[in-house]
Amino acid sequence: MNDQVRIVRFNIFDRLFHVFIMVTFLLQAVTGMGRLLYQTAWGKSIVGLFGGYDGATTVHNTVGVLMIIGFVIHIAYILAKVEWQAWRRSLFSPDSLVPRLEDAKHLGQKFRWFFGLGPPPAFDRWTYWEKFDYWAVFWGLPLLGLTGLLLMFPVATSRIMPGWVLNILLLLHRAEALLAMLYIFIVHFTVGHLRRGMFPMNECMFAGSVELEKEREEKPLWIARIQEDGRLEEAEVPGPPRWYRILYFVFGYAALAVGLYLLINIVLYRNYLEWH
Amino acid sequence: MSLRSLLRKARLPVAVGLLGTTILVPGPAPAQEEVADALRRYKDREVSTGFYEEYEVKPRRMRPFIKSPREAPPQRPFPLSSTAAVVRNRTYLADSHAGIQFYARRRCEECHVTEATHSHTVRGNVTCRQCHGGEPIAGINYYYSPMNPIRRHSYVCAKCHEGANASFATFLVHEPPAGAPQTRKVFPSFYYANWFMYLLIVGTLGFFGLHTLIWMGKESYHAIKEKMEPEPEAKAEEEPIKEPEPKPEAGAGPKEEPAGGQENE
Repeated sequence: MNDQVRIVRFNIFDRLFHVFIMVTFLLQAVTGMGRLLYQTAWGKSIVGLFGGYDGATTVHNTVGVLMIIGFVIHIAYILAKVEWQAWRRSLFSPDSLVPRLEDAKHLGQKFRWFFGLGPPPAFDRWTYWEKFDYWAVFWGLPLLGLTGLLLMFPVATSRIMPGWVLNILLLLHRAEALLAMLYIFIVHFTVGHLRRGMFPMNECMFAGSVELEKEREEKPLWIARIQEDGRLEEAEVPGPPRWYRILYFVFGYAALAVGLYLLINIVLYRNYLEWH
Repeated sequence: MSLRSLLRKARLPVAVGLLGTTILVPGPAPAQEEVADALRRYKDREVSTGFYEEYEVKPRRMRPFIKSPREAPPQRPFPLSSTAAVVRNRTYLADSHAGIQFYARRRCEECHVTEATHSHTVRGNVTCRQCHGGEPIAGINYYYSPMNPIRRHSYVCAKCHEGANASFATFLVHEPPAGAPQTRKVFPSFYYANWFMYLLIVGTLGFFGLHTLIWMGKESYHAIKEKMEPEPEAKAEEEPIKEPEPKPEAGAGPKEEPAGGQENE
């Protein structure tokens, strides 16, 4: 793959944020599911990996606080990335992840293409499903973080709001976590790994770069825009070294295995799942 | 002025402000909470626990203003049946199980089936009696019961949750089933939160699950079709190195050829 022209898509911060959320999300999923299904033998064995129920809770709480810190750093990062002098252009440019009217049109076009009623949509830098992935995490993280933080200190929380709010917070926390897990393990994994031309793995989030020719088909408007601006040369980067590819393949597939293992057990123990 | 330079300039005032706040504003001490009011002194504690120093005092006529979701369905003017009437009245008895046959040989969860599976028991390994007390188990609304909402937080919750107050005690350990219609009357916010999340989950997974399913189906359809009848385009796709198509530069959307490289989404 290294003999092809590659252009940069994600910088080092984007990739680090992704690896960070992969690790923390899976840790939260494992410790959370183990505790949620604590009445089953499977839940007890999972929780046992972290030294029992209290150990798993400690890990869950600590990693949760880390995630909140990571989210705050991410907010600072995106605030620094916006060009505030021309904020309107900066926020609503095709390079921004803010949803645009085109995304809705692309969705419609995509469905028409599904049933052979038209050509597939021509995407710019971000497709609508990539934007949805981003904003799903962006809404899920504060919700889970806030409810989790309040649930972490129930006595203090009951001083500032009625105690029965904790019932609702617990419900929101569990339901949102379940939604996030199911979405990532079903939709995100399928789109990231099983699409044609991506099959073993969509490497761009780890390698940071994409093959120009592949991207010309995938996101023609983006490539055309880079070419028009004459930025194609400076966007070119060398491919990832071999050792790094091996590393991220192992890492990515380990994450995939954890996710699928959890998904299978969520399905197996669905009768014991109580989100309230 | 960009945000970055603004932040850089504001660094010192922010740091000084934070430091000043930390030093000048005293942190809350848990013990101060009940006594903090100079006028009412111990009244809060007296009202909410029924205790003043070591003497138990009668709470005032009015129950302290504890808003909590009702734990039982709303009262009707007439009971549904004579048994239901008895069951309801039992929550006010000093011995709520008085007169039940073979009571000594029965276990709590034989009758209280749903009450036996909740997080305190399943996760915290708490037994029924650790909260509801030993025999005779007083009904939760019995005036002198430790479970009575006027003193539950100090007699029951605070045994494990240090510093629990009356608000904390309104947490429902035995939650009603969140999706059930009767929950709309007893605990509406819980009911609506549940249905909101339920619809969100079903909606998101339904839409994007379907989207992904059709997408993968469409792609495998094209893959199989190309394998069955290898067309020139299909071959070009297999070896993209030799044929870098400069075509899409000309027009933004190379849409005119449905069988082209476009399926390679």
